[in-house]
Amino acid sequence: MTLRYAFFPGCTLESAAEELMISTQKVASALGIELIEINGWTCCGASHIQDVDELLATSINARNIALGEKLNVTKILTVCNTCTLMLRTAKFKLDNRDKLREKVNIGLNNAGLEYKGTTEITHFLWALIQDYGLENLKKKVKRPLTGLKVANFYGCHILMPPDIMGFENPMNPQSMEMVMDVLGAESVDFDQRLACCGFHAVFPAEKEVMGLTGKNCLSPKSSGADCIVTPCPLCQMQLDAYQPDAQKGWKEDITMPILHLPQIIGLALGFSPKELAIQRHVVDAIPVLNEALQPV
Amino acid sequence: MYTILYFKIKRFDGTNEWEQSYSLPYEKGKTILWVLNTIREQQDPTLTFTSACRHAICGSCAIRINGNAFLTCKTSLDEVLDIFNTNHLTFEPLKNFDVIKDLSIAWEPKMEKMEQVKPWLIPSNEGSVESGFLQDEEDYHKIAAPTDCILCGVCASECNQLAVNDGTYLDPFILNRAYRFAIDSRDAAPEEHIRPVYENELWKCLHCMQCVTKCPKGIPLTEQISYLRQESIKMGEVKNQGAKHAFAFHDDVRNKGRLNEMMLPVKTDGLINTAMTKIPFALRMIKKGKINPLQIPKAVEGIKGVREIYKFAKEVSES
Repeated sequence: MTLRYAFFPGCTLESAAEELMISTQKVASALGIELIEINGWTCCGASHIQDVDELLATSINARNIALGEKLNVTKILTVCNTCTLMLRTAKFKLDNRDKLREKVNIGLNNAGLEYKGTTEITHFLWALIQDYGLENLKKKVKRPLTGLKVANFYGCHILMPPDIMGFENPMNPQSMEMVMDVLGAESVDFDQRLACCGFHAVFPAEKEVMGLTGKNCLSPKSSGADCIVTPCPLCQMQLDAYQPDAQKGWKEDITMPILHLPQIIGLALGFSPKELAIQRHVVDAIPVLNEALQPV
Repeated sequence: MYTILYFKIKRFDGTNEWEQSYSLPYEKGKTILWVLNTIREQQDPTLTFTSACRHAICGSCAIRINGNAFLTCKTSLDEVLDIFNTNHLTFEPLKNFDVIKDLSIAWEPKMEKMEQVKPWLIPSNEGSVESGFLQDEEDYHKIAAPTDCILCGVCASECNQLAVNDGTYLDPFILNRAYRFAIDSRDAAPEEHIRPVYENELWKCLHCMQCVTKCPKGIPLTEQISYLRQESIKMGEVKNQGAKHAFAFHDDVRNKGRLNEMMLPVKTDGLINTAMTKIPFALRMIKKGKINPLQIPKAVEGIKGVREIYKFAKEVSES
């Protein structure tokens, strides 16, 4: 049976994190998962639009979900924590508040659409565990990542708030460790494992967020990690692309390569770092991977 | 199930800090406060913590357990053992507070900080001592959730901005208090509660969702922060990085449907500031192919429908 999802890529996958688009598609295809991109999707609002207009924030995501519903699949899948949270927040409100749903549907009707509430919203990490099955993923591993020490950086928006996300307890999540286990990589425990990356306030709170980035890189480094892996492209961008800026605030070398979740899965499936576009990261991850990875 | 439970408690006597170990036989159906009381009564009378009502009303007994803030009287020991999947628990005082002794924290500096938002009703002319101050049901429901706050400090302990801030940013429970009066139909001057919030770095909230996740009363703190931001915008405070950043997303979705990452810093920081501060960042992004300065984003399919939705939302907000 082929798993089919309506795919909501989110804005970063179109430019800053195009490597996540490349690696997600390669990995999905190798696993036999069909991703049907939602035609005409818009930005999820990235946790900002509700600060201008809450009804609008809910409405644009009602539109995104309604477009996904038309694809006759049971779930919409994203690879971004914040996209998942924004879509699920809209769905939570629309499914629980009849008057709001009616109101939002008046606006959607003007766009020729209707929110029905027939489709779930999931994240790639959850889909692997819940739908694909880790035992099936294990069968696909061609190059176990033996010897690679990874620091799993969850990011806030795949965990919280639990009323809306609800996949696992945000105080002690295990999903990333479960996946790494199957891939053969060693998960390293570190203080900042469940920390916030600060990305959403990097402009108004630049000083604070840069301090946080340094801390988030140093913590896994002192625990012996070779790289950070994250299920969120926004955490990835904050920790990777801003790392040279964050370095300026620290005497210690904070260098820490940051990988997307599908990239590390792709490595275990036998793809080369180049095929997964790992060379696109600002902090070069390839030397540490070359050292740790066995040839296929 | 476990037979023995092991506790490490962070101690502080005003000068020295240390970690002290205790153990207790497991008992089913107890609370964390039972653990603390049992240790104090049976093993160590010097252990200091605060508690009073035992019913999640007084808000005095919050501590951190394995790094997460809980109200000890409301939290089941079995639940905590289950969440952390261990019989080794670490108790620490709340974060982002001064510690007085062991697990007890100082509230006075926080109360002084809270005064800035005028956490009291500034009565409108519609009520009086003689006639009373009636409020209809809908308006009452607006203040019901924020009034549930018991000032336990859990939200402040978990706040990721407070942890890195210089002390200006207001604790989530203070934001809640400002919201509670700003939204009260009987209050004559919402701006007097909102302006100090705005001026104390309102836009620095990191959107980490810790406060709303951990609040033992389920108060929708992050939605309140959104409301306070919306109101600050209505008060004309639009020329700050936070509001400009939010509008960049808002406007990009209306114009093309998707975010223009290339233009985001310019829209948030202005051209000159971007040129002065973001050039190394931009160059490294271009070098890695992460942003393409020549790419002009096309509008998504159905953009006219998107704009209809904007039009509708605007009509609703103006009605």
